[in-house]
Amino acid sequence: MYFQKKRCIAMLLAGGQGSRLKVLTQKTAKPAVPFGGKYRIIDFPLSNCVNSGIDTVGILTQYQPLELNEYIGNGQPWGLNKTHSCAQVLPPYERHDKKSGWYKGTANAIYQNIDFIERFDPDYVVILSGDHIYKMDYAAMVEYHEKHNASCTIAVREVPLKEASRFGILNTNPDGTIYEFEEKPKKPKSTNASMGIYVFNWNVLRDALIADEDDETSANDFGKNIIPNLLNSGHKMMAYTFDGYWKDVGTIDSLWEANMELLGKDPEFNIRGDERRKIYARNNALPSSYIDDHAKTINSFIAEGSEVYGTVRHSVISVGCTVGEGALVEDSVVMPGVVIEPGAIVRHAILGENSRVCRNTVVGGSFEPEEKKQISVTSKGSVVEAGIVLLPGEML
Amino acid sequence: MNIMGIIFANDGSLGALTTKRTMASLPFGGRYRQVDFALSNLAAAGVRHVGIVTRHNYQSLVNHVGSGEEWGMDLEEGGLEYLTPYAMSTTDNYRGKLESLHSAMAFLEYGAEDECVVMIDASVLSNIDLKDVIASHIASGKDITVVTKAGICNGSRKIDLTMKLDDQKNITDMAVDYEAPADYLASMDIYVLSKKWLIKQVKEHIAHNLYHMDRDLVLGQWQKGLITVNPYVFPGVALFTETVEEYYHNTLALVDKTVRHDLFGYNHPVYTKVRDRVPTYYGEDCEIEGCIVADGCILEGKAENSVLFRQVTICAGAEVEDCVIMNDTVVGEGAELKCVILDKDVVVRPGAKLIGTPNNPIVVKRGDIV
Repeated sequence: MYFQKKRCIAMLLAGGQGSRLKVLTQKTAKPAVPFGGKYRIIDFPLSNCVNSGIDTVGILTQYQPLELNEYIGNGQPWGLNKTHSCAQVLPPYERHDKKSGWYKGTANAIYQNIDFIERFDPDYVVILSGDHIYKMDYAAMVEYHEKHNASCTIAVREVPLKEASRFGILNTNPDGTIYEFEEKPKKPKSTNASMGIYVFNWNVLRDALIADEDDETSANDFGKNIIPNLLNSGHKMMAYTFDGYWKDVGTIDSLWEANMELLGKDPEFNIRGDERRKIYARNNALPSSYIDDHAKTINSFIAEGSEVYGTVRHSVISVGCTVGEGALVEDSVVMPGVVIEPGAIVRHAILGENSRVCRNTVVGGSFEPEEKKQISVTSKGSVVEAGIVLLPGEML
Repeated sequence: MNIMGIIFANDGSLGALTTKRTMASLPFGGRYRQVDFALSNLAAAGVRHVGIVTRHNYQSLVNHVGSGEEWGMDLEEGGLEYLTPYAMSTTDNYRGKLESLHSAMAFLEYGAEDECVVMIDASVLSNIDLKDVIASHIASGKDITVVTKAGICNGSRKIDLTMKLDDQKNITDMAVDYEAPADYLASMDIYVLSKKWLIKQVKEHIAHNLYHMDRDLVLGQWQKGLITVNPYVFPGVALFTETVEEYYHNTLALVDKTVRHDLFGYNHPVYTKVRDRVPTYYGEDCEIEGCIVADGCILEGKAENSVLFRQVTICAGAEVEDCVIMNDTVVGEGAELKCVILDKDVVVRPGAKLIGTPNNPIVVKRGDIV
């Protein structure tokens, strides 16, 4: 079979459980969690790839892959199903040697798929993860990497000092070269946080992966092992500063916040882009939405296939939802296919896919602006039975 | 049984709305084009070999339907074909359905395994279970099945083909281009017939300079007692569009829950070309009441009893009532619109005022600035 040589391909790490999303990832891998009314988290890195001219993407899956695999399919929604493009799902597999088994860490996941990468004989490999909401031109980062003749380039962004110890922190020289990498440091020396987006020269990465696999003490992780090892062995590593919107949606609170940041006349994150840089998603053959005579829709995102008879304020209503007459939805994220029956009240909540809030029930509560908001969550397919009250911060 | 589908794209009869498009590619219901219904009906019945007959202005149609990917019809074998007129055809251009089929004989004769043909027009919209129609056709043993709808004829509306049934469901009268009384059934321009029989009929008719499907084949042959006709009465919603006024009322009919749910939900989904627009944003002070809204709109003003297509902008202070607003149109601040059909890419200047009436809606053509 003929494989076209690629200058650059992407490997997308999508196998993590995302346990901090609690009930939302009980049956779904984090990258398949719905976002923004009609998207799933993985749509953002995948669309970024396509919009950056990267047409070959390996997607490493492990945890609860059914929905994620279905969603990716043959890559058609992102235009990755053409003769010389692909969205290839790469699950762990059995091997002739003793090295088979689950992906032990992020580096091991790539290691186990060296053969996939070799087919395209790439100069550069971009490593991405499936847990962030952002729009980024990876091509510009690869240009930067090439221009500086680096072995590895890491995307960084400024984070507040008090949050820096949650990230991998890069300490750089004035010319942008990295001299030190600290994974989640207690006393961070800078506020340059790694975004978990790496560009590698493939030959450098391949050798590093093989060496890492031979080291039995290694955790086989990019942040803990591969990056520090390359730095110690004298490779030129660059930091690439990205200052656009970027949000880790790994927790209930951050997922809720990121959805809220889509709202407003001048939103913090504007998904609308120019015509040629759209965020693509798998389509749900649903009709246009219907907003009833008695409905009120205020400062909200409402996706196609929804029917609104009640009041929706400062919320994201996803595809195929129903908000019944007299119901109130406020400051909430309503995932696809949810039914909110007449008279129900939903505040500060994330309602999981296809869940149902029965008549006259109450989910969540109100908070003062400066108060910490406790988000109530319903899991996929769950039913908040009539008369039940789901308290602020409670999960079903 | 293998079924072949033939969709007639139909020339436009809606003035400015169809000067540059066929009836098939006329936008409908916020995110659709009329042809989506015919294609989705065929797709849901498992039909995977479909020809689209078209003769004028088919650029927008080809652009929309493409390879048929959205309907699962981009296949190695069979799949979707465009039956456009040949420049060197024996006639100048098609005069009727039979003539168009005659010049597409290669398509008809291809694929010996297709036993049955479903012919369907793009201008009558329904969500119909064609498997049931085909089963009825086979059970009837008749030559041709015509799908009909009660309650369309009213004595003043001119319908392509109408028929009257007695209590035993036998046809007692049939008429073409007739302002039939209310007790007549209107043909939905959906026919089921055997492929072999159709090919024979097409050849016979063309040889005798007959080309009109309804007049010559169905009515003419039935009157002479040469063919048998099985009327299938469709119980669901069917929207007939021949005039601007009908288009306007059919579009606004979607605000009615029964119409909307029948057309989009009961049998199967209706597929259309994916545009990847973001969800619609409803602003802080917008008032949207009784509206059908597609993705990608930015709504800051007021809209009532209207259908808003993809990426429509209604600025603050604008008031829209009983309107049909197609893709990418912008209604400026303080503008006031009532009973208006705005085609794609129209700009309504701030403060502009356009007032039509339900029986005579104003039509603003594509790309105009008013």
